[in-house]
Amino acid sequence: MSKKIVLAEDNTTLSLLLKFRLEKEGYELFMAADGKEAIELINTNSPDLILTDIMMPFVSGLEVISHVRIKLDLDIPIIVFSSAGQEEMVLKAFNIGANDFMGKPFSPNELIIRIKRLLI
Amino acid sequence: MPDIQNIMDQYHDLPFLIQLAWALSGVLSIAIVLLTIYLKIIRSYLRKKAQHHLAYKNKYEIFLVEYLYSGNDDGSLSDTQQTIIKKLKTSVKNKAKRKVIISILYKLMNEVSGEMSDYIKTLYHETGLINFAIDRLYNKNWYIAAKGIGELTRFNIEDVNEKVSEYALHPRREVRNEAHLYLVNLFRFEGLEFLNNLKTPLSEWAQVQLLETLQKFDDQQICDIKPWLRSSNNSVVLFALKLAKIYNQFEVQDTLMELLNHENKTVRIASIEVLTNLYGLEAKEMLKANFKDLSLEEQISFFEMLEKLVIPSDEPFIEKHLFHKNFEIQLLALKILKSINLDKFMAIDKKSNHKKANPEILKFVKST
Repeated sequence: MSKKIVLAEDNTTLSLLLKFRLEKEGYELFMAADGKEAIELINTNSPDLILTDIMMPFVSGLEVISHVRIKLDLDIPIIVFSSAGQEEMVLKAFNIGANDFMGKPFSPNELIIRIKRLLI
Repeated sequence: MPDIQNIMDQYHDLPFLIQLAWALSGVLSIAIVLLTIYLKIIRSYLRKKAQHHLAYKNKYEIFLVEYLYSGNDDGSLSDTQQTIIKKLKTSVKNKAKRKVIISILYKLMNEVSGEMSDYIKTLYHETGLINFAIDRLYNKNWYIAAKGIGELTRFNIEDVNEKVSEYALHPRREVRNEAHLYLVNLFRFEGLEFLNNLKTPLSEWAQVQLLETLQKFDDQQICDIKPWLRSSNNSVVLFALKLAKIYNQFEVQDTLMELLNHENKTVRIASIEVLTNLYGLEAKEMLKANFKDLSLEEQISFFEMLEKLVIPSDEPFIEKHLFHKNFEIQLLALKILKSINLDKFMAIDKKSNHKKANPEILKFVKST
């Protein structure tokens, strides 16, 4: 059975790009355009891994992480995407339970390697 | 008809002010109706435009993703990629479609790196989008030229370096800033050569942007900043001072010492700050000797320097300024004394009946 991944990213092109790549790698992908949608997808699909951008409309990536770690009390790996200048947010993300981060711009190939490592 | 005639007769019989009020109401009612219709048309036009935009976006996003994942292993363009380029080449001739394609590529350049960003750059070249950006450089409107430079920066187009360099001294600040960012983004420290000829002020924001751009590169090998420290443009000198501080330019200490006598006070103060950072002990002695001739701001900066570079032999000088009329100097002097001679500092109470002594400062320094 393929592993499920929830991707929360407000840039639709990047989401599409990652979806294409991750599905090719055999993962089942659920895409959310903002944190609110991501929380709904996490609640309904019980993913094996979460990829989330930090800055998103309505609900931020940090809130998504705290929802998973505190409210749902889940231990699933979370990778956050951050842009330049969001170093403090990345630290906060790690403090509340993120497992890894990738600074934008990033290489999708490197992301795949990190996902595989976390899903072993 | 008789009814209308009747109404008109009644209208003519009305007093002038009432007639005017009716006429105004009529004109306003017609204006409201016309504006409502106009608004409806505009809204429907914008909705259609947004729908088209979305449709184009969805269409070209798929093209782009397919293009990015269909490359040959050796890095050359595959047949699929060639076909997509051909399709996009036709689309970019349409302004609306071109805008959508550019915005997708632009966003994606901020998000992905490595071979994908190389493919995006190839696409930008091959579809002819680069030519539209270059054409913008020759546009008579400065804001279009500025946008063109911004786009060329984003896609790292080095070929137009000479043309963009001409804009580094453009009379419009916005165009200059874009040109400066282009040069620094693409040529790093070498791109700063425009500072040699810059006569206009380099704003604080522009300086921050340039420094931020420089710091994102792995190669932090800085060039010779002495000519900029000696520039006749004060903003260039201040920028060079920031470079000296960030990149620990110990080799320019002599030039920094010269700047302590610069005609501009801001430059002199910034020089003290940089020399503090570079452990300029020689500068400290010089400033100490000329302390009385310094402006108050310089004196404060000097005490901040002393706070970091103080040695026991500075004690008499500090003692002399323990009750300086300026709050900040008094605070710094007390702090420095506390750090170098605690016993003497604790004994200050006895002397604190000095007329300029601030007991609150003393209390604060004691508690910290």
